[in-house]
Amino acid sequence: MNPSVPPSAAEYGGDEVSAIVLDPGFSTTRAGFAGEDTPKSLIPTYYGKYSHEGQEKLIFGDDIFVTPRPGLSIHNPMGRDGIVEDWDMAEKVWEYSFTSRLTGAKPGNPFQNGLNDVPEGEMPTEMEGVESDEKPLADSPLLMTECGWNPTKAREKTIEIAMEKWGTPAFYLARNGVLAAFASGKASALVIDIGASSISVTPVHDGMILKRGVQHSPLGGDYISSQIRALFKSNNPQPITITPHYLISSKTAVDAGQPPQVNYKTYPPEKAPDASYRTLLEERTLSEFKECVVQVWPGPSKLLSPGPNGVSNEEVARSSPGRPFEFPDGYNQIFGVDRYRVVESLFDVKAAIPDPDSPFPAPTPAQTVPELIKNALNGVDVDIRPHLLANVVITGASSLLHGFTDRLNQELMQTYPGPRVRISAAGNTAERRFGSWIGGSILASLGTFHQMWISKKEYEEHGPNIVEKRCK
Amino acid sequence: MSLASGVQIADDCITEFNNFRMSGNVKGDKTKFIIFKISDDKKTVVIDETSKDQDYEVFRSKLEAARDDKGKVAPRYAVYDVEYELPGEGKRSKIVFISWVPSNTPMLWSMIYASTRENLKNALNIPTSIHADDKNDIEWKTVLGEASGGKAGK
Repeated sequence: MNPSVPPSAAEYGGDEVSAIVLDPGFSTTRAGFAGEDTPKSLIPTYYGKYSHEGQEKLIFGDDIFVTPRPGLSIHNPMGRDGIVEDWDMAEKVWEYSFTSRLTGAKPGNPFQNGLNDVPEGEMPTEMEGVESDEKPLADSPLLMTECGWNPTKAREKTIEIAMEKWGTPAFYLARNGVLAAFASGKASALVIDIGASSISVTPVHDGMILKRGVQHSPLGGDYISSQIRALFKSNNPQPITITPHYLISSKTAVDAGQPPQVNYKTYPPEKAPDASYRTLLEERTLSEFKECVVQVWPGPSKLLSPGPNGVSNEEVARSSPGRPFEFPDGYNQIFGVDRYRVVESLFDVKAAIPDPDSPFPAPTPAQTVPELIKNALNGVDVDIRPHLLANVVITGASSLLHGFTDRLNQELMQTYPGPRVRISAAGNTAERRFGSWIGGSILASLGTFHQMWISKKEYEEHGPNIVEKRCK
Repeated sequence: MSLASGVQIADDCITEFNNFRMSGNVKGDKTKFIIFKISDDKKTVVIDETSKDQDYEVFRSKLEAARDDKGKVAPRYAVYDVEYELPGEGKRSKIVFISWVPSNTPMLWSMIYASTRENLKNALNIPTSIHADDKNDIEWKTVLGEASGGKAGK
């Protein structure tokens, strides 16, 4: 292709707009251009705070993991229920997610950016419009996602930030449950989203969320981490402490189950980062543990129930071959039945491993996945329940736990023996992790979607409440 | 307004469907089903095929054989005139709206078809609908059961 010939309109995608799609979660924030397969910018929603020469500094993105600065503390602007708690910081984190990799920094005033000589005595006269030039999203429509229980106030605040702080010309706020249902081809579905801070069940009918049926509970990926921590405390042959890499200066390989042989790095108290930094890095090891070791007991009955031949399921699990895991300090062992125990309480609260120090209170029966589903279905019209059960959609990164889908299928078939239960879950890891983002990306890239956008003009006429009328 | 793709419905679809609906009493030379698809430029719902074939299996295999412009499995919408007989009540017929989004459809088309479905269903104004993602969902028995409200085909 001749580089001097500009690409035709069709190659640019015709009248398709280069919208930005922003899918903010508790653990990660996903941002990218509409029309792309995966979000180009994937950053932790956590941010770091420390003081340097008396000034408060903030760190965003993957940089928060890198350097154990003195006094560095880690925070999250989202609440565990998926609703923003600290709006100022949420705005900054979200803004970082698209300015760092997508839109880039906007050019400043050429007279003040230090790159040009300002003629003496001559001050630039045209100063109007300078401020609007600085808004980061002045050229890009923005589609954002939200959870099904996001309150009106939070929705209005979101459009306010997008329109007034970021200067987006057009905005839309989409429910992630609806996006997940659509992404699997369904206008009606029961969407089960297993996230980091919460799990939710959202009934969607004819493209609308049935609000009375929406259920959520805190038993997400972070809860599973807390169960793994509880297990490590009482582990055999010895309790396990997770030591993140930044605290290790050297280590020697040891045999399975042997104490680690390791030299630690030490930080004097005035140089040490805050405890929240260590927790964040420990969480990374736990994520790896969840991906490599943890497994959901396949059923049909619960892990603690007696099995078919009078042998308890736990005994059966014990005799199956375990999975090895090596910790950053070199300690390694094979995990047998314990790899099932840490997730069993998502289905059966009796199996929860007690831990008085855990930030999570002991789970209640109503918080388990099967109960959430039961309550969600009880909250909707009896006629549509069979349709929802025939169209169960599973999404969210924590649903990738080995064996999760099979177990859920078993549980549902036992609870609802009559109607046909069918689960659909994307086999592709990216589609499961970024399901709502990808759905939003497809919609926002359609030329025909322009009629859905709330334009800046409409916002100025009607105020933030327009989001309630237009984004149902 | 709920979340939707904004894909338009071509006027043809409505006209053709209304003719189909009105032709209820005409014997013999009568439309049996219409299949709709979303155009390759993703802008409009258009008619893929209108047929008078009385054999349900012909209809079903047409849905299963649907492909997109790249030769991949593709979704379709359809309306089908289901005729059935209830013991003691005589012959009945009912038009059913079917959305066919096979489970191995690429996500792009799944998303577009799912987010356009309500618009088309409302434009055609058909209360009875079936969503199908594998071929068992469009077996005659299933469709008959849905059309008759569970009274026929037991």
